[in-house]
Amino acid sequence: MMLAIDTATDACSVALFDGGKLVAERHEIVGRGHAEKLIPMIAELPGKGRAQGIIVDCGPGSFTGLRVGLSAARALGLGWQAQVYGYSSLALMAAMAFSDANAPGRLAVTIAGGHGEMFVQRFTRKPFAEIAPLASLTPDAAIAEIEEPLLIGNAAAELSALSGVGEARDIRPRAAETMLLPKAFRELPPSPIYGRAPDAKPPQ
Amino acid sequence: MAIILGLESSCDETAAALVTSEREILAHALAGQEEAHRPFGGVVPEIAARAHVEVMTPLVAQVFEEAELSLSDIDAVAATAGPGLIGGVMVGLMTGKGLALAGGKPLVAVNHLEGHALSPRLADPALEFPYLLLLVSGGHCQLLLVKGVGSYERLATTIDDAAGEAFDKTAKLLGLGFPGGPAVEKAAQTGDPASVPLPRPMVGRADPHFSFAGLKSAVLRARDSGHYTPEDIAASFQAATIDCLVDRTARGLASAGDITALVVAGGVASNSAIRGALRALAERNGLPFIAPPPWLCTDNAAMIAWAGVERFAADLSDPLDIPARARWPLDADAAKARGAGVKA
Ligand SMILES: Nc1ncnc2c1ncn2[C@@H]1O[C@H](COP(=O)(O)OP(=O)(O)OP(=O)(O)O)[C@@H](O)[C@H]1O
Ligand SMILES: [Mg+2]
Repeated sequence: MMLAIDTATDACSVALFDGGKLVAERHEIVGRGHAEKLIPMIAELPGKGRAQGIIVDCGPGSFTGLRVGLSAARALGLGWQAQVYGYSSLALMAAMAFSDANAPGRLAVTIAGGHGEMFVQRFTRKPFAEIAPLASLTPDAAIAEIEEPLLIGNAAAELSALSGVGEARDIRPRAAETMLLPKAFRELPPSPIYGRAPDAKPPQ
Repeated sequence: MAIILGLESSCDETAAALVTSEREILAHALAGQEEAHRPFGGVVPEIAARAHVEVMTPLVAQVFEEAELSLSDIDAVAATAGPGLIGGVMVGLMTGKGLALAGGKPLVAVNHLEGHALSPRLADPALEFPYLLLLVSGGHCQLLLVKGVGSYERLATTIDDAAGEAFDKTAKLLGLGFPGGPAVEKAAQTGDPASVPLPRPMVGRADPHFSFAGLKSAVLRARDSGHYTPEDIAASFQAATIDCLVDRTARGLASAGDITALVVAGGVASNSAIRGALRALAERNGLPFIAPPPWLCTDNAAMIAWAGVERFAADLSDPLDIPARARWPLDADAAKARGAGVKA
């Protein structure tokens, strides 16, 4: 059994797989309620979600959401003596978009970051791969960077409206879709991908 | 005999401990973050939360290994669920929930302040309810009548800064470094406590509460006057703080009714001059004085595990959807103290 946990966005999303096949999922838009909902949702899965392997969304995403998911995943891993791995939220969104037969060969994932910036990462479909590393960019810099015809994520609409090019689609990561990721993309270390330094400046 | 795992992550220490109902501390581990916060002169919440998530599960693994136990051997998981920096609290609470689900164990959501309040009973098996507790920490300065597990009556609180906050701000003003409490205590040892005239806010007042903001402002003026060494200011500040704590606690003793002991807990209780003055006050009142060892006064997970032991013994446990709370007063019925910068 493999348990997938995704709390990187306003969705609280869990899924259980057997040999790569989906057995059960729970997916709810909870806003900020991950810390309350996550463990009861796992407990509702068959066998209380017990698995030999756990994969968890490491971000980028809500800092608090990431830590809720990672803390739970690591604790369950310790308690069940299960392996814990991570995946990137942006990679999962890209894989979900590419699962549409009409999707283009390249796309850019853009999600809202902090301080008016957005997280941007571009992917190719065949082979599934990232074109460039994750970046936190201002909208102008993002427009300059992105050449892809399809923009996905919660900042996609804003960005395509600003640039006047590209089709925009909002996609949320969903635990039940994690098997769309090639294996290497769901074997990251289970540590947060914040994408941005903490907001803190040393006093003068 | 019950064995409880305790988890703590509400401020800038990540900690795990295994404690038995027989008061045996089977293992305890703590990772501080002083280095990470030092450049900022105070705890930065996002930096704290990032550090907690990295070290929490390794600390849990470490205490199980040290005690040669596994999750199946324990009776319950106790985790701090507040009050504190919410991003950090969530890390410990989610770790606790995950372990509770994985092991099929009850979860005990512990109020961090109850951890401090009951820690003297971990240190001293003879301490019975009810006792008068002076809880002096980084975020709190309260007199509590501890009547039983989960049963607290707040007799007094600070109307502005906490005592530990006053130590931390004084250390910052005097350039003594971070964290402030131990630095001020050390500097005070070589200073003259009578050298700087400083106010004693609230002393002698009928109103039961504490106040430290005026003392902090006076420290700033003393520093800017250029007349005093940092050591003299530190010693005078500590002496003024002690006078305030002793006066207010004496007033609390007078209104507390029958109690078994005067007890002090929280990080500031690790200050030996403060302990000495409170011990003398207890003796003047014919009461035993109880203070946990200094390492049990500052944040740690043994006190959380112990609060877990006490709550578990009272059949108290919590559902897995319990929220983390930034604010969580021990005595929810206490009237708001005038001017209080509400901390809990
Ligand atoms: N030797 C000392 N003398 C005076 N103050 C001290 C000493 N050692 C620690 N402190 C103070 O104790 C405080 C830390 O205590 P503790 O860890 O209990 O507080 P906290 O957990 O940050 O706050 P709270 O428990 O109210 O949420 C700090 O303000 C620190 O300066
Ligand atoms: Mg504390």
